[in-house]
Amino acid sequence: MTVQITPAEGTPAGGALTMGDAITRPSRGSASRRRRPALVLTALFLAATCLIMLFPFIWAALSAAKPTVVAFSNPPVFRFDPTFQPYVNLWQTTNFYLYLGNTLIVAVISTVVALAIGLPCAYALSRYGGVAAIILLVMALIFRALPRFAVVLPMYEISKAIGLYDTTYAMAAALIAINQPFTIWLLRNFFAEIPKELDEAAMVDGCTRLGVLRRVMIPLMGPGILTAGIFVFLFAFQEYLTAAVLTDVNAKTVPVFIATQIGQNLPLLQQASAATVLLTLPVIGIAFIAQKYLVTGLASGAVKG
Amino acid sequence: MKRSQFWLLVTPSVIMMFGFMLIPLYRTVRWSLQKVAYGEPGTGVGLANYATALSDPRLGRAVLFTVGLTVVVTVFCVVVGYLLAVAVNGLGRARPVVLGIMLISYVLPHVVGAVAFSWLFDSNFGGVVNFLANIVTGGAFGEPLWFTDVWPNRLIIALNIIWFMLPFAMLMILAGLQGVSQEALEAAEIDGASAVQRHLHVIIPSIRGVMGFVVLIFTMDVVRTFDSLIPLAPQATLLGNESIMFYVFRVAFADGALNLGLGSAINILTILLILILLTPSILNLIKESREA
Repeated sequence: MTVQITPAEGTPAGGALTMGDAITRPSRGSASRRRRPALVLTALFLAATCLIMLFPFIWAALSAAKPTVVAFSNPPVFRFDPTFQPYVNLWQTTNFYLYLGNTLIVAVISTVVALAIGLPCAYALSRYGGVAAIILLVMALIFRALPRFAVVLPMYEISKAIGLYDTTYAMAAALIAINQPFTIWLLRNFFAEIPKELDEAAMVDGCTRLGVLRRVMIPLMGPGILTAGIFVFLFAFQEYLTAAVLTDVNAKTVPVFIATQIGQNLPLLQQASAATVLLTLPVIGIAFIAQKYLVTGLASGAVKG
Repeated sequence: MKRSQFWLLVTPSVIMMFGFMLIPLYRTVRWSLQKVAYGEPGTGVGLANYATALSDPRLGRAVLFTVGLTVVVTVFCVVVGYLLAVAVNGLGRARPVVLGIMLISYVLPHVVGAVAFSWLFDSNFGGVVNFLANIVTGGAFGEPLWFTDVWPNRLIIALNIIWFMLPFAMLMILAGLQGVSQEALEAAEIDGASAVQRHLHVIIPSIRGVMGFVVLIFTMDVVRTFDSLIPLAPQATLLGNESIMFYVFRVAFADGALNLGLGSAINILTILLILILLTPSILNLIKESREA
């Protein structure tokens, strides 16, 4: 799978924008006039895709803003007096804020710990040439592919037996373990991009291995840590299956809450749309911030296959 | 790096990963040989669970459905993801906005996205897709039974998974495109290669690695499809639209269905299936590490 992709040469973190039209650049000038129909088609293709990608949210947001009686009526209503009642109800009659808090706590804990234990491991994997490193990487690949239930159902029983069922700690621990393979694979690819001579030079100057990791590698790993952090945070924030099995009332997360609202009565459904909108808004922020780093980050290390 | 240093650095991660994976896996293997319910000691039944699983037509249908879904979604997302990545790569100032919009469906929890998706099609909740399609086609679109008819239901399941996985394919391929050699592209253009030829003979071969990675991740993730089916396929069992994971869920966890032994046996069989699917990638990985 290795095709040596030249790492985005000297691209600073967040330089995705400046690399804008790298591929179309050669065809400026007289050629651009001939290519106008193609450009229009491309623009239409992108605009249509964006609209389709956004449509489910737009619709959910509209459903949350309609008066309850017409919120889900068929044929759909397009003219109505907007209301914020579902948001008020969501906040007052459900424990939404609690579930949102749980979701964030689990995501933050699991991201921090996953990076803290994943960084040294990934560094060692990128620098050690022994068979153990290959075995570990293959095991990680297999763990990444395991059907969730094969580990989550036993976790359910074990967590009940030791009294950790329905706690955010158990959820976070399970997610750290489940996402660790992806974390170390991604970070290892980033470390592999940093020349080994740098380690040697630092050690000649009297740095220990741990010192090299802390003082030399981690400062250079900014884009890698950010990219891995974004992914791990998202995986934890999105997780439904694990949360549905390992939590009940106290540690319930938003995805589980929204899923249990379906098949209920109309006001509850409308609260689910309101919850979807409230969850989507920060996610839009994440998407817009993340895109800047993800493309450069992934281009400079991770997608070497 | 010395061996002792290697082990020192990997130990925390290894303990976490192996502890939380191998101990539960061991229990799954043991359960698969037992008749057992949660919190009770099981009684050994040998391979009876495997015999039951393999003779249950539901498993065969679930495997076929899951593998078919994986193939369709992967092929579609790689092809369209490539086209999108090329289009986005050509953008100037609009690029962050377009990328940001496209990533939203990927970063939202899949079950939440699937719930929002189900409202578009469910005529009990407005059925806006039918409504708009009938305006455009003058009523010829009719009212497909999205949730109770086999193929319409399969279509919305596949569409939903494509909807949230496509951004990932696009993102990875876009990242890969950043490394395509400009010299090779310019040389090809000077030699008179058409745009299509440049894609087929210069760009695609040089991002083969990324494509392989995308296919690998898609294989792993679509085979495990579960979240989307909760809102989108309430009749999954009846229609034969159960994914393997959904089948396990119904057998071993959902409302009172606590046939844990059978569920565990299906899990083990699924692991075998996944290992077979992963063999090429694993061999490739070992070969590369040897060369490095």
